[in-house]
Amino acid sequence: MRGNPLWPYLATIVKIVDETPDVKTFRVVLDDPGARENFRHRPGQVALLSVFGQGEATISISSSPARRDYLEFSVRRVGRLTGVLHQFEEGYKIGVRGPYGNGFPLEELRGRDLLFVGGGIGLAPLRSLINYVLDRRDDFGSVEIIYGARSVADLCFKEELFKVWPKAPGVRVYTTIDRPEYGWDGHVGLVPAYLAELAPAGAGKCALICGPPIMIRLALQELARLGFSPERIVTTLELKMKCGIGKCGRCNIGSTMVCTEGPVFSLARLQALPPEY
Amino acid sequence: MSVTTPTAGTISRPDLARLLAGPAADGRLVAPVRTAPGVVLFAPVRDPGALTLEYVNSTVSPKGCLFPQSEKILGWRGGGPKLDLYSPPEPQPLVLFGVRPCDLRAITVLEPVFGGGYPDPYWRRRRELTTVVGLGCTEPGPYCFCVAWGISPVAAPEADLMLTPVDPGYLVQSQSPKGEELLRRSGVSLQAAGTEPAVLRERRTAELTARFRRLIDPTGVEAAAERLFDHPYWRELARRCLGCGICTYVCPTCHCFNVIDRTAPDGSGGRYRCWDSCLFERFTLQASGHNPRPTRAERLRNRLLHKLSYHRSRYGLEGCTGCGRCVAACPVNIDITEVVADLKGMMT
Repeated sequence: MRGNPLWPYLATIVKIVDETPDVKTFRVVLDDPGARENFRHRPGQVALLSVFGQGEATISISSSPARRDYLEFSVRRVGRLTGVLHQFEEGYKIGVRGPYGNGFPLEELRGRDLLFVGGGIGLAPLRSLINYVLDRRDDFGSVEIIYGARSVADLCFKEELFKVWPKAPGVRVYTTIDRPEYGWDGHVGLVPAYLAELAPAGAGKCALICGPPIMIRLALQELARLGFSPERIVTTLELKMKCGIGKCGRCNIGSTMVCTEGPVFSLARLQALPPEY
Repeated sequence: MSVTTPTAGTISRPDLARLLAGPAADGRLVAPVRTAPGVVLFAPVRDPGALTLEYVNSTVSPKGCLFPQSEKILGWRGGGPKLDLYSPPEPQPLVLFGVRPCDLRAITVLEPVFGGGYPDPYWRRRRELTTVVGLGCTEPGPYCFCVAWGISPVAAPEADLMLTPVDPGYLVQSQSPKGEELLRRSGVSLQAAGTEPAVLRERRTAELTARFRRLIDPTGVEAAAERLFDHPYWRELARRCLGCGICTYVCPTCHCFNVIDRTAPDGSGGRYRCWDSCLFERFTLQASGHNPRPTRAERLRNRLLHKLSYHRSRYGLEGCTGCGRCVAACPVNIDITEVVADLKGMMT
């Protein structure tokens, strides 16, 4: 049905990557060539994925917009819909609607040094921007990535985290896990504590963070202490959504709709909202 | 709504049945029906004699004619690597008779939600296919407070055809081409009103407004609500809330919905959009277990502030129309008019 914002594009899963025991990355290609051409997202935007029979879920687009042949969604198996999606195989059909939301403020980020702080599956929306920055390397300053997960097995995007990103020019990657583990000689500790320990200078820099709500809360405090200005601390919220287009009334924080006015918020904007996220 | 050649005049009570006879015979009439003692609902009516005119307002608002309680929005066949989508059947044209001014205002309140940046084709199609016949009130009910929001209880611009009771018949104002069409097809001719229609309506508005007993002044409640967001008042009020959601189901402006898929044994199925309520715990519960509005206090506050503040700051329109249904239906007497008075009282 043309012009229907609730009508998903059919898409085919062309590749599935097991990231962790409960996260898979689905690479999909929209079936309709016209839709493929028109689907242009910005890093940080989301899509509504249809698993027909289970409904829809809001999932951030984790691939870089500079890579135009496909879309990637990294999905943690956590509920009914994601449980079924995790059983899908290459060649299966899903639905995709979007892209929705504001995305990261690229104009604001251009030319700046960037600090990424991620926890667990929270690296998925940041990955879109990290790879976009690497695809457009000259447009941005230095890149630091602080990322942690519960265990080594739970670290997402291991290929990029350990092989691709550390080799990119002007990129430093700091990885941590929550508890000591046999065979891991890297950092051990929670992400906010690691952030405090590394204490990157905040002046002039932009911080982009995503992770579990408690990690976001503590990391926001830490970044403020390190001298990042509230306008340059940016996070992305993912509230439950049913429509993605400001109608279903589910993702509001006060009078702000996260689907259309977010999901990316600066700390300055968040501070002006009621604490309902 | 533009009024190009306004047609106005009076009709008699028997003319009303003639006006509705055609749509009723065609199975296109939806009108208030007394379904049980004390319960009036909008329902399909085949015989104009079956509808009731003796009601203050319907128990549930007629918004379901434009935004059904459950509506198929797409269907699919197949599954796995082979899957096709198809559109549900088109809705039928309707004549929706007997809509009160508060519920007419609700159409305007919902327009920017279902319009806006991503126009909703399901709402739009039903709006196009529905001829709305408004019916002015004859007496305010004990819970009515539409006049607090500046609504006239006898007329509203949202109706295609607006009927204002004037003894012994009705003053009819056609307000759109669809209204004209309904009049023309019925063959009912309007009689010249003795008094200028606008004057007549103004007089009726003033007479009826004076009879409202639930008097509130919502001016400034938005600012009060914002200032009192963290006040213990909400927790105290929510102690008696059961979270049943009846307020949202009877409300003419509540538009929150869920989207649910149903699958047949062969794997084909349909996607349905269904009314939902922000008072339900699972409304905002995320798969991870995190819930941004974890208790009834946050959820009740969200609903009340949506009506009293959020809708207005998003769209510049009041989110409540004063129909009073939530006040009447609440099993524990949570009363939005009291909330308005309380919030304002706490600010003084």
